[in-house]
Amino acid sequence: MANFRRFRPDDLNKLSKCNLDPLTETYELGFYLQYHAKWPALFQVAEDQHGNIIGYIMGKLESSPDVYQFSEHYLPWHAHITAVTVAPEARRLGIGKLLSEQLETAADANNAWFIDLFVRSTNHKAIAFYKSMGYSVYRVVKDYYGDHSSDPTQSSEDAYDMRKPLKRDVKKEHVRDDGEKHEVDPSDVW
Amino acid sequence: MSSYARYARPALKSSVDVQLQTAFSDGNWNLVIRLADKRFKVLKDPYYEAIKICAESQLDGTADKCAVLVAIDELVRQKAAPDLDTLELYEWASADFLHGIDYSDALGPLRTRWVKANPKSPLAVQCLQSCLEYWDLVSAQQIAAALDKTYVNSGDRRYMFWSITLTFLLSISPQCSEQSRNVYCMLVLKQLERAADITENSAKLELTDRGLITEEEICLYYRVLLTHGTKEEFLTRIQSSRLGPLHQLKQGRKLLFWETLTALENWGEWDRIFDLCHQALSLGLEDETPSFFTCDLRAWKAFALAASKAKNEEAALGEVQNTLKKFISIKSKANAMYKKNISIALLETTFRLPKPILTPSPDHKGLTPRVVQISLFLDHCFDKLSAFDDVKDYVAQLSFEEAKAFMEQVLPKMLVDKPDKLSQVILKSLNCKLQYLLTTCPQMLSHHPSMVEGNNYQCRFCANLSSLPCQHCLKKIILEASDTYMQIGADKELLKSIPRLDKDPRLDLALVMGTSILKLAGLRQRLSDVDPSPLRNVNPGLFLQAVLLLDTQLRETPSDTGLRLLLVQLYLLLGCATYAHQLWVPMDVKRSILDALGPLFFDRITSISPGLIQGGRSFLEPVRMSYSTSLADNCPLRIWDAFSTGSFSSILSLTEYDSRLRRSCTLVMTLIEERRAIRCYGGKIDSEIDDLPLAADIVDSTTLVNKTDYGSFPNLESLHGLPIQDFIRLGPELSNERAHLSFLTEQYFDILSYKPPKDYRPVKSNEVAIRERNYILECLDRLSNSLTSFIHLPETPSRLTSPEMTYYSVISLLSAALLTGISTTKADPAPKTLQLVTSSIKSALAGLRASLTVSTPSSLPMGDVFFSLSDMHTMSYARDTALAIKHSAAFVLAFHEKEVARDRSGKSSLHKDVVAEMKALEVVSTKALGEIKKHVQSLKEALGEGGWLDRMLEWTFGDEGEAEDEVTEAVSDVVDGRGGAEEWAGKVLESWREGVKGWGMARWD
Repeated sequence: MANFRRFRPDDLNKLSKCNLDPLTETYELGFYLQYHAKWPALFQVAEDQHGNIIGYIMGKLESSPDVYQFSEHYLPWHAHITAVTVAPEARRLGIGKLLSEQLETAADANNAWFIDLFVRSTNHKAIAFYKSMGYSVYRVVKDYYGDHSSDPTQSSEDAYDMRKPLKRDVKKEHVRDDGEKHEVDPSDVW
Repeated sequence: MSSYARYARPALKSSVDVQLQTAFSDGNWNLVIRLADKRFKVLKDPYYEAIKICAESQLDGTADKCAVLVAIDELVRQKAAPDLDTLELYEWASADFLHGIDYSDALGPLRTRWVKANPKSPLAVQCLQSCLEYWDLVSAQQIAAALDKTYVNSGDRRYMFWSITLTFLLSISPQCSEQSRNVYCMLVLKQLERAADITENSAKLELTDRGLITEEEICLYYRVLLTHGTKEEFLTRIQSSRLGPLHQLKQGRKLLFWETLTALENWGEWDRIFDLCHQALSLGLEDETPSFFTCDLRAWKAFALAASKAKNEEAALGEVQNTLKKFISIKSKANAMYKKNISIALLETTFRLPKPILTPSPDHKGLTPRVVQISLFLDHCFDKLSAFDDVKDYVAQLSFEEAKAFMEQVLPKMLVDKPDKLSQVILKSLNCKLQYLLTTCPQMLSHHPSMVEGNNYQCRFCANLSSLPCQHCLKKIILEASDTYMQIGADKELLKSIPRLDKDPRLDLALVMGTSILKLAGLRQRLSDVDPSPLRNVNPGLFLQAVLLLDTQLRETPSDTGLRLLLVQLYLLLGCATYAHQLWVPMDVKRSILDALGPLFFDRITSISPGLIQGGRSFLEPVRMSYSTSLADNCPLRIWDAFSTGSFSSILSLTEYDSRLRRSCTLVMTLIEERRAIRCYGGKIDSEIDDLPLAADIVDSTTLVNKTDYGSFPNLESLHGLPIQDFIRLGPELSNERAHLSFLTEQYFDILSYKPPKDYRPVKSNEVAIRERNYILECLDRLSNSLTSFIHLPETPSRLTSPEMTYYSVISLLSAALLTGISTTKADPAPKTLQLVTSSIKSALAGLRASLTVSTPSSLPMGDVFFSLSDMHTMSYARDTALAIKHSAAFVLAFHEKEVARDRSGKSSLHKDVVAEMKALEVVSTKALGEIKKHVQSLKEALGEGGWLDRMLEWTFGDEGEAEDEVTEAVSDVVDGRGGAEEWAGKVLESWREGVKGWGMARWD
């Protein structure tokens, strides 16, 4: 039912199964193309037998600017998952996991220390999913989101910055067990 | 200058004094001019003169603004290497002109000249970037080649691959002269062959070697080989142990494998495909820990298809089965997605097996291995959201005997085997979908000589005489689906379980019922190019029932986008544009998906309800803005990002995508719909269509591309017929032909509406008048030829609705009539062809007028009003045609009056026959417009009458109190009767009223 391959710009004409889902954000063209241009191996898609995109992951490789090198919040060379989405009809087939694994492979090939991502602290389903794949909470970014997904009375929501160490991090220096206890401000997040 | 910010004001050299620096950064241009002039006179440094010119370009006067172009031209002529800081200033100052002038004739060569003189300067890359931003491939290639030559021994491979990539891009670009093309083709191929040989022949490659090392470099090589090399070279290279796709796969890189597979499929190299897929799939079995990395469905399908085309088909398919067996034995270790791929691969392979192998024993007629495999697949996956989509293409291939066995033995057995209530309703829903699917398969009918005209076939399932689809079977499906739907609604336990399912089974049941009723109503694919509105020949009651039923379901499952898209189309068809818009908005179609999804709502919208766009461009503004943002630069978006990171395959795909986006049918549709809406309400169109930057690349020879995404439409149809979107759409989808005709029509209107600026007072008015006349004739001649050639393309009639065909034919005739009219003066002989042309125009208009008043079949309990409300498209084109005729005639008559006033001798005024014909056209069109206006008025009055809600319900369900037929009864059950339909009827009515109100405000003169 599915093929996994790199994203190509023409896929933007086949995104409806994913992007008409209210949980998936649609960005400007330049945003998608930037990922395809800079990190083509980290932008992977799953397509169905008719060429419709039923899932995709967008990732990038980066480190904090050198000027932050001595900051405690400095991020060394790592991969970041910007977006991952699976069409409703293709859920519960492990497509998200396969896409994440492919991004890990690409990140390892690029000698990254770890992969990180941000998730709403109340999105328990997603947090459990990432934990099942070896991610752990590295820190809590207070009031990172300007709205709350489940409580309309609140004006903000915390984010979990979750990480998974890669092959380069043999000593697991870039993850911690008690990440939930480390709180930072959004301004500390690069 | 930084990338993507070329409009940012450049910094002046640090040696420039603070006073001038400050004036420049403050934009105090008069002061800058004065100071720069002073400095130039004192220091004799031409840089200050450049600053002065640059500042002058910011003033309002045309001469001041253009001074920079003169300065650039002078630099180009000097043949000397220019100063880079001066170039930066000039590039910034001329930014507004650079869309109009050719960068490759001006700044590109200057930058190239500078780089050749300073090849080791770090600023050389900036020059390359600048040339790329203006997509001047000629200069960019020369700069990259110069950089490669300079750094050939430096170990920096970046310049080598930039040079190769740019040589390749140039070789396939229209910017390349035909004389140079062969040289570039050969050059790029040789460069890459050399690099490939280095890779093949080196024991160990260093990162500084000039071989192919990264996946991107290797893929670039194969792309070039595919374009400029021979098939044999490609086939030889893919066998390479270092550069072949298998080696890449072993390293976890799949891109080359897919590209190779595509190339081999295009060439029909089935034996090689078989070997490649076999080896690729077997890679996963080599290690102790199996890998499913290559177990993509495409690989399996290609493997099975290639096997079925092998000389020894049986042995090859046996090999496929062996490989599959190995994977099946380790399937438990696979991810759910790969398990499913393997299961479908098994189905695929079974369907590729030769017929004799598939013959069942006489005791089990129809229960062939194909049927057994489908049943095994469904046994595991029947409750999954995609189960139907996964098997539908296979079920549609079954013979009647197989289908019968499947429907009458396999599915009932599954119902027995899965007795829990939830499984039962899911299976029943699946059963209904499969039954519907089979009604779309021609093998389910047999030829039957019949006395009844048109019924020469017999349905093999129900034995009734029928055409496709079998009406009896459709009715049966509707009743079964309705029963199951009601069963679910009445069972609290089931209702409680639904949220745990992939999908609410009622949604599928409603879709089956809805599409079956649409078919019963007579909504089918267009049978001929001159078909009237799609709803003219349908049973309105049944059509309304289908819409009502689907609308009711949407209230239950509002997040289902497939159903929502279907309803948007149906409401547009019904003429309820405002209600369709209400359904469209929550899908939040925006930004990068507008190109593919925008047409699903916006195409032809002004012919249904221009009032939606009236008073501004709010609806289409986001669509146009998305193009303006994405196509603002001449170069493909993010191209420098791809160059700077060495993503060579991305460079090629970004270039292809950009070229396609600039030729998008949706882009043309956006520009046209906006202008039609503005014109409809007498608004002012800002600029001629040719002057719009977004239309800059569109000429007659441009192939405009439609990329509408129908992927989310629910589609229960088999491959034997058209998908659902093709018969619920108002007319044929976007096309090159329609886009060009609409674009040319706008150009025609631009000629008619052109007015010289008020302050334009030519001194030699007679000379100017002659030139104007010649210019108009030239434009009309070109337009007439273009319109005629597009109208007469063999595909054109099938790309347009009937009113569109008439409209564009009339525009084509009008352009010819105007050409003849304006070129025939009083002194010329009477124009013989003019009367023929005008009489064709009059007949075409009469035809459109007549189609507005087509009488309703007397058997239907509704007046013309339903058909008129659901066919505003025809009314719209009748109006547009009449207006086009009126404006054209007025244009000629005004031209004549102007000539009479200008030239007292009367020699240049138009021939009396021309004037007479135009006056006649004016009369005919005015009369038609009056009638059409009256038609709208009468619709408005009709909708203003009382009792509409009851009338709508009567149209939908028939007279109250009368016995309902079984289909109506089934629908009534699902929608909770007439009471449940009242709110819906109110919305439909309101939308019609709003639409007609919008038409009421349109301009009619």
